[in-house]
Amino acid sequence: MAIAECVDLPGKAMTLRRKLLLLFTLVVFLCVAAVAWIISSLARRAFEKTNDERTVALVAQFRREFNRRGKEVSERVQAIAASEASTRMALALSRGIPDYGTYLNEAGNVATNQQLDFLEFLTSDGTIISSAQWPAKFGYKESSVSTSTVPQTVFLKQEELPEGEALGLCAFREIQVTDKPPLVVGCRRIDKDFLASLELPSGMRAMLYESPFHQEGDAGFSPQLLIDAGGPVLRADPLAPLIRQIQEQQREISQLVHWSSDPADDETINSILLRGVNGQLLGILLIANSRRPYVELRRHIGSTAFFSGFAGMLIAVVLSGWAAARITHPVEELAQAAREVAAGNWNTQVEVTTSDELGQLAESFNVMTRELLQQREHLVQAERVAAWRELARRLAHELKNPLFPLQLTVENLVRARQQSPEMFEEIFQESSSTLLAEIGNLKNIISRFSEFSKMPLPQFESVDLNEIVRKVARLFQAQLDAPGHASIKCKLELADSPVSIAGDPELLHRALSNLVLNAMDAMPEGGTLTLRTRWGSDGNDACVEVSDTGSGLTPEESARVFTPYYTSKTHGTGLGLAIVQSVISDHGGRVSVRSEPGRGTTFEIKLPRNEEKLQALDITGRTLGR
Amino acid sequence: MKRISFPLLVASSLFLATIAFSETRPHYGGTLHVAIRDAPLSLDPSEIARAHGQTSANLASLLFDTLTRVDERGQLQPGLARSWQADSGNRRWRFVLRTGVTFSDGKPLTADSVVASLKAINAGWKIFSEAGAVIVEGESPAPYLPAQLALPRNGIAKRDGGKELGTGPFVVSQWLPSKHLTAAAREDYWGGRPFLDSIEIEMGESLRDQMIALDLGKAQLIEIAPEKARSAGIEDREVSKSAGTEMMALVFSRPCESAQEQYLRDAFSLSIDRESLNKVVLQGEGDPTGGLLPDWMTGYEFIFPAQMNLTRAREERSQVQHAPVWTLKFDPNDPVENIVAQRIVLNANEAGLRLQLSTGSASDLRLVRLPLASLDVHVALDELATALGLPQPQYATDSLEDVYSAEKALLDSHRVIPLLRSPREWGVAGTVRNLAMSRDGTWQLPNAWISPGKP
Repeated sequence: MAIAECVDLPGKAMTLRRKLLLLFTLVVFLCVAAVAWIISSLARRAFEKTNDERTVALVAQFRREFNRRGKEVSERVQAIAASEASTRMALALSRGIPDYGTYLNEAGNVATNQQLDFLEFLTSDGTIISSAQWPAKFGYKESSVSTSTVPQTVFLKQEELPEGEALGLCAFREIQVTDKPPLVVGCRRIDKDFLASLELPSGMRAMLYESPFHQEGDAGFSPQLLIDAGGPVLRADPLAPLIRQIQEQQREISQLVHWSSDPADDETINSILLRGVNGQLLGILLIANSRRPYVELRRHIGSTAFFSGFAGMLIAVVLSGWAAARITHPVEELAQAAREVAAGNWNTQVEVTTSDELGQLAESFNVMTRELLQQREHLVQAERVAAWRELARRLAHELKNPLFPLQLTVENLVRARQQSPEMFEEIFQESSSTLLAEIGNLKNIISRFSEFSKMPLPQFESVDLNEIVRKVARLFQAQLDAPGHASIKCKLELADSPVSIAGDPELLHRALSNLVLNAMDAMPEGGTLTLRTRWGSDGNDACVEVSDTGSGLTPEESARVFTPYYTSKTHGTGLGLAIVQSVISDHGGRVSVRSEPGRGTTFEIKLPRNEEKLQALDITGRTLGR
Repeated sequence: MKRISFPLLVASSLFLATIAFSETRPHYGGTLHVAIRDAPLSLDPSEIARAHGQTSANLASLLFDTLTRVDERGQLQPGLARSWQADSGNRRWRFVLRTGVTFSDGKPLTADSVVASLKAINAGWKIFSEAGAVIVEGESPAPYLPAQLALPRNGIAKRDGGKELGTGPFVVSQWLPSKHLTAAAREDYWGGRPFLDSIEIEMGESLRDQMIALDLGKAQLIEIAPEKARSAGIEDREVSKSAGTEMMALVFSRPCESAQEQYLRDAFSLSIDRESLNKVVLQGEGDPTGGLLPDWMTGYEFIFPAQMNLTRAREERSQVQHAPVWTLKFDPNDPVENIVAQRIVLNANEAGLRLQLSTGSASDLRLVRLPLASLDVHVALDELATALGLPQPQYATDSLEDVYSAEKALLDSHRVIPLLRSPREWGVAGTVRNLAMSRDGTWQLPNAWISPGKP
């Protein structure tokens, strides 16, 4: 039973295969995770670097595009200044006060032809002759640019319009005809159309924060001033800190802007300051480079790494399972073989499939079981011989004791017939009774040996061990109380509830009686005999203990006490405890002894509940009862 | 030599005289092609008069006659009414109709048809026929009723199943609403058959397309914007122009409610450089004006100041501490109004007034163009006041002094600021002869004829 329990333990604990599987899986997982992390980190760094380089390249491209537009404006204004119509206008103006009516629509027509948004013809003192963007402004002075500081290159200008102000990329040219040449100033408006016309790479967009210092001292952020190619930027708030920072520091700043919780919406914003002729800040161009491709690529790598890792894990688990099975299969076979050996099947052999350490282990196991089998056979033979010797010694000893008085009695009868025939009759009578008594002893000895050899199989029925113990106690109570003996106190420590098992009440009674007799023999000077019943700790086994307070047994005696015909008593047959062990074994239980010299001995019987037998008895009982 | 040369001289003289006479003698036949910008959906005189002003006068004069007419001097002349007479209180008017007048379907003009026509237009009037005459009665005196009946909207029409039949010199032969009108001359017109056989009018044509059509010979009579007339003349096109009839003005949407607002409106009026607007925007074709009626009509317009006086404007402006920002509404599709509105904003800024241009429905000010409705001063002023949403002028007598007082009262309300007065101008092909035009710009087509030769 104990072996069976030991065999069940691996089923509850983690098996070697599972341990190996877990170990392999963990190792693979860690490896995959480490590789994925390393690849992801390296990729992120590489992409960050690439993204930064791309942003720099794109901003440079934007600047080139911006400069190209400025050059276009410059060339168109130059063409206007050099045109015949401008020359005629200059000549007409040189003759006196300009006729504004003649040139009212001149600037508008020329601007349309040259695809300029703003165009003005000015006298040398800055008076507007004709304006495309504000035709009604004829005769007024152009206030935004002093003719004394006419820039020769393309410049940015805050242009006044009827509906407000607008930023223009402008160029000035003189119409070189007279000493006081008229001027032509043409601009391309920097607005949403300008932004839309810029040839920007995919993922890039341009925004314009117009007139950051629209009002004196107003350096704050006004969302309505921020436009892109589609018009006003609807959600401009995320750019407010950047705009304010640029306004405060008056330098170009690059910043990552989060538009939403989704990192793919993030944009790297690079700023370009748009300054006027006098260096005043007129606008801020914001070049937004979307991080979406980068984030999506990173997500793609991440998802690929995840799915690859997951697939790798699956494959690793399968392969680990296969490898673990391959490794543990011989071990499991060895374990199974060991369990069989433990169960008593000493013929068990395992198949040796490899020549490695496991193969050597299997080979050694086979050698071990073969040697164990041989040694057990030797041991059995030795024990059998020893038993026969013991039996012979016992028989000789037992038979010699009654035979010696028989021999003396017969010799006494012979001597009395020869020497005193008159007393022969009296001696014959005495000797006859002695001979009969000794022959009775011989018969008794022979019947006990016979009884041991004829030990019956138990007839199971539901029994209460408490009741059996009480019967045994009552049986021996008279002997215990008999005068002429040292006083032995019998003490019962029984379980509160009935200890019911399936068993043979007669055999159990006999076994207990033998143990009680043993205990009484062990206490010639008196003592306490204790009988106990209880359920084992697992609740399945019933325990019966018989304790004495006698001289106790040595360890050697304890080891041999159940050996048949072994006895430490002067007149014992050595079969009492052997019968006990036989009975208990036939009930599926076991008996053990624990003893210390001088401190008494306790025999403990453990009997299984034998549930299946109890149920069978119950069914049988109900059937019979019906 | 002398004997030979004299007959030759006589013959050549006769030949040249014949040629000259044949080119000046009216010639029947031909079709006059006209292009106009307006695109009326209906020919009903009341409809086109309401929607299209001057165009209505021209179209109505072709198809419909009125009971009376107002001549170039503002005098009433008989139309379909041969005579008229009022009672002593000018409350009941009796119009005696001309005989022998027929509608374009041949049916004679009757008092009942006149009553039906006028009732359809003037629902509030009490009109009825009596012994073949038309009687118009009112609860209040209506001394200028005959002149009102000369307005184009009061053209006599017989409305028959969605068609309008008139008694005019032409009859509709093809009508594509808002696109094309062909009008054929009536042989039985009571005033005599026109020289032209027909008139074809293309509608909805832009001024540029009209100019191209004239240059290509596809149109013989087109409209010319005053600001384009100068260049048209420079490019050798024949331009016919009326007197200054159309008034451009600023109208406040609500009455002047305080003295401070009056200061601001005065400052605003004084800040406007009408001279520059006329010289530059209208290319000098119009006149700066400070009055509602033209000087050629009243003779007193010069009394109303039209000069910019920035110093006074600033003084008036300084009387008010905080000036509101006015919104000025204009027609963004009209390039002249666009520039004028912008210039007015600039002028006002110089006087310390702030204006914002607007094209929305609500505004403090609106820039309007108003044609002269009639050559009769009373009716013209009445119609002007109605169009501007001002109270009707009150006249004690028929005298010009009363007209002046009524006009001054309208101007003193500070609701309207006259700016410019511009003429109606037409480009006319050289083949069109004897095309007369009234001072208010109305065509006099019945007497026009097409020269068969090259222009």
